[in-house]
Amino acid sequence: MQQEVLAEDRPPQGFIRIDFDRDRRQTTFNGHIGTLYAKRGEKGTADEFVLGFRVHPHMCNPAGGLHGGMMMTVADLVGTMGGGTLVGLRKFLPTVSMTFDFVAPAKVGDWVEGRCEVVRQTRSLLFTSIYLTVGEQKIVRASQVAKIPTGDGQAFGKARLAREEHAAARS
Amino acid sequence: MAIPPGFRELTEAMGFAAANGPWFEKIEDGRAIRGFRPGPQHANALGIVHGGMLAAFLDSAMGTAVFHGIGRRAVTLKLSIDYLGPGRVGDWLQAEGQVIAHDENVAQVRGRLYGPRHDVLAGLGVFSLLSRKRVIRTRS
Repeated sequence: MQQEVLAEDRPPQGFIRIDFDRDRRQTTFNGHIGTLYAKRGEKGTADEFVLGFRVHPHMCNPAGGLHGGMMMTVADLVGTMGGGTLVGLRKFLPTVSMTFDFVAPAKVGDWVEGRCEVVRQTRSLLFTSIYLTVGEQKIVRASQVAKIPTGDGQAFGKARLAREEHAAARS
Repeated sequence: MAIPPGFRELTEAMGFAAANGPWFEKIEDGRAIRGFRPGPQHANALGIVHGGMLAAFLDSAMGTAVFHGIGRRAVTLKLSIDYLGPGRVGDWLQAEGQVIAHDENVAQVRGRLYGPRHDVLAGLGVFSLLSRKRVIRTRS
């Protein structure tokens, strides 16, 4: 079934499905909203962490455009999961504050990508800037403040890149 | 689970709102209040309600507040959100917006999302007002 999803989403080269709910009995929100993918690029480049997904009708508003709620959910995730990855934190980072500018719409069939830049990391906070894009077009600009929990905190849930499945689908 | 009195389900919801609902609405003294009861599908890895879900819900309530406040359909231009406390799965959560100011083109809106015990989100948004002539097929 997962391979059908992969075929339908046609993720570009290098994108691997994120398995948010490994060993979990119930799907959580990140799994519920649609299949999300991630690509890991060379360290220090803009593509070091890229999140991607294909726009489907269940992510849209009645006007047929990508729903702002979906954009905000993904931007939030790019900041916490991507930002955490960039600075080498394997903890769950709760969001403290976010600001979104809805720059342009996206439509069904578009491949949306999310990237983030770390503005500053302190002992307890992570400041990031986030862009969602469709091709060259920026669709959302967001900025986020996330809390870095003291101690080990919670591990970043059970989210992993489904590498085995990816390898199986390609072979 | 029980829905508080006065709320009706937004059965006309489509797409994202329908996939993440059901959402409810109550009109009280010309003021729109939206409510929903988050389930496990709305949770993040910590078991509390996902920030993206809360943002989507508050955004919808603030957009509705524009419609009920000044009679204009609106789309979000900008939204700032402070996460004040966790949203609990199983709790009845409510969100409402208040139009602070507007001209012909944009409205400034304050929003609040709260649970039975505490405030969860505080929002401040700028909404673009759609042309009065524009026909919208459905609303959600």
